[in-house]
Amino acid sequence: MHRRQFTKLLALMACPLPASVLAQSDGENWTEMFAEAVREYPWLAAWGNVEQDRYEADAVVRGNWPEALQGVVYRTGPAQHEIFGYRNRHWFDGNGMVHAWRIDGGGVRHQARLIETLKLQAERAAGRALYSGLSGAPPGQAGLTGPNDVNSGNTSVLFHHDRLLALWEAGSPYEIDAETLETRGIYNFEEPGGGSSMRGAPFSAHPRVDVDGSVWNFGYASAAGLLVFWHIGADGALRKAGRIAVDPMTMPHDFVVTEKHLVILLPPFHFRPAADAMGFLDMHEWRPQDPCRVLVVDKNDFSSHYFLELPAQWIFHFGNAWEDRSGVIRFDGARAPDPSIMTQTFTEIMRGNPDYGRAARHYGYRLDTRARTISEESMLEPGVFTEFPSIDPRVGCRQYRKLVFLSQSEADLAEHGTLNEVNLFDIESGRRDWFRYPDTQIPEEHLYAPRPGSEPESGGWILGTAFDWRRGRHIINLFNAEGIADGPVASAELPYAIPLGLHGKFVTG
Amino acid sequence: MKTSKTISAFLLIAALGAYTQASAETLTIVIEDIDDATGILQVQVMAGQAQFEGEGAVAQFMEPAVAGTLTFTAEDLPPGEYAIRIMHDLNGNGELDTNFVGMPTEPYAFSNNARGSFGPAKWEDARFVVESDVTQVISLNP
Ligand SMILES: [Fe+2]
Repeated sequence: MHRRQFTKLLALMACPLPASVLAQSDGENWTEMFAEAVREYPWLAAWGNVEQDRYEADAVVRGNWPEALQGVVYRTGPAQHEIFGYRNRHWFDGNGMVHAWRIDGGGVRHQARLIETLKLQAERAAGRALYSGLSGAPPGQAGLTGPNDVNSGNTSVLFHHDRLLALWEAGSPYEIDAETLETRGIYNFEEPGGGSSMRGAPFSAHPRVDVDGSVWNFGYASAAGLLVFWHIGADGALRKAGRIAVDPMTMPHDFVVTEKHLVILLPPFHFRPAADAMGFLDMHEWRPQDPCRVLVVDKNDFSSHYFLELPAQWIFHFGNAWEDRSGVIRFDGARAPDPSIMTQTFTEIMRGNPDYGRAARHYGYRLDTRARTISEESMLEPGVFTEFPSIDPRVGCRQYRKLVFLSQSEADLAEHGTLNEVNLFDIESGRRDWFRYPDTQIPEEHLYAPRPGSEPESGGWILGTAFDWRRGRHIINLFNAEGIADGPVASAELPYAIPLGLHGKFVTG
Repeated sequence: MKTSKTISAFLLIAALGAYTQASAETLTIVIEDIDDATGILQVQVMAGQAQFEGEGAVAQFMEPAVAGTLTFTAEDLPPGEYAIRIMHDLNGNGELDTNFVGMPTEPYAFSNNARGSFGPAKWEDARFVVESDVTQVISLNP
């Protein structure tokens, strides 16, 4: 008899995981509803379904692409929103497509491919949508053995140790061939002593690269109530990992790293699985009366950590963070009063509801690690909504003063309700320079591209893509960072447009 | 490569006092998609919900894994409701290994190819009726 093994099997599977939860199908035809909405509001095409599983084209270039700017913008984003006729109920549930914009001596070549995830392959084999997502579920959905069953690689990319990884929020990285963009499969970091305990552990979409070239990241395992912390060496191998119990768990999307600490905000969006949940978001409860906890972790010793509190708030993205000699950490982020942009707007947009909610304002935070206090303060005038902060990668995890972000002014009456300005903001002087995109274009994340040989945060470029909904074209624009208000100095246009993506990285060389 | 193993449930059931004079059926368990020929395949047949959610089994098998398909036969099962649980103990340590956050890292499966949501399959999804000879084809890597 081998009862012990099976008893252990059952105990393990029953214990750290919530009761079996299958979301309900709403039985509505969102594909039809959305198609109708696009006829009335053509800019919603940015949330349409991708038409092909791969793209490749030389872009038509305009303006002056500098010889000194050589590299690749790798990006990912949800692109396949309709699976055999079933339209996803959340923007972030779309199957991921990875992009490469190869910029080389004045030419710009674009490639894109759907990521061959386990999810995509299972759906293709079944000939139908299979899984419950952040919102809703298709009829006759299949159960999950773990988060990687629905890992779409659609959130961000990391290029580390010559390896391109497509990242998602709660699962493993997908390795992508940087030349062909073919999917190589789920990637497991090499572990000390050849171990395998990190396989399938959550690796979030916003790792931070430290000055020594090593990478810090976190991940959340909702059912287990654990935050996982990762430190990957510049050589690509796992240096160490740690676990911190968080009860109740929430959905942290990004974090910051300083000289000495990791800081992660834990909004009061409590994980509370329920048998009748309509998707993963519905397994959470927003509790504005509860604080947003702030977890401060010692980089050298993950077991050394403590919690502080801020008023309830929701943050997707931080710009950067640094710590001075007196132990004061300063960081910034796009702060929303609640998670409704994620729980409502990004579901409604899939249905075709054009009321694009405005959410986040840019805040600066001051965290004193000796006094163990934290305070927050608005960084911009009240009428400016922001998202997608980014920095010169050379100042990551260290003192910085320049931020790139997208924004929208409260008074703006653009035809589409989304972000439409790209900014360069000087934190020290408070000076904000920006360019407003034409109403026919929806900008995606913009990135700082350093000029070779330049000082950090000086003399660089800003590179960003945009969806031209009137012409059905995707474009990439180049700005001089210090002359952003003058508009793009060069651009390149594709003969097609691909549904709005999320994050990317510029890789020099 | 195919291997067939047979076990009689007669003695096990008799020992548990569950044996009645009803007809005795044969359950054939075909395990497909075994990716790795290393380690041990463990198969457990449970009679009824209480046993599925509790402890024990009416039939158990342990065999060295082979790549491809393995077939097991449980004989002399009285008619009733059953479920099957399978795990592939790749490193032969006698346990279903889990990762840093408690998720199984070795293949496992249930009858009807039932899958749970963030956990084990439920009895309602894994159960099947034995009233005559029956075959369950289960994929270890669905
Ligand atoms: Fe993000």
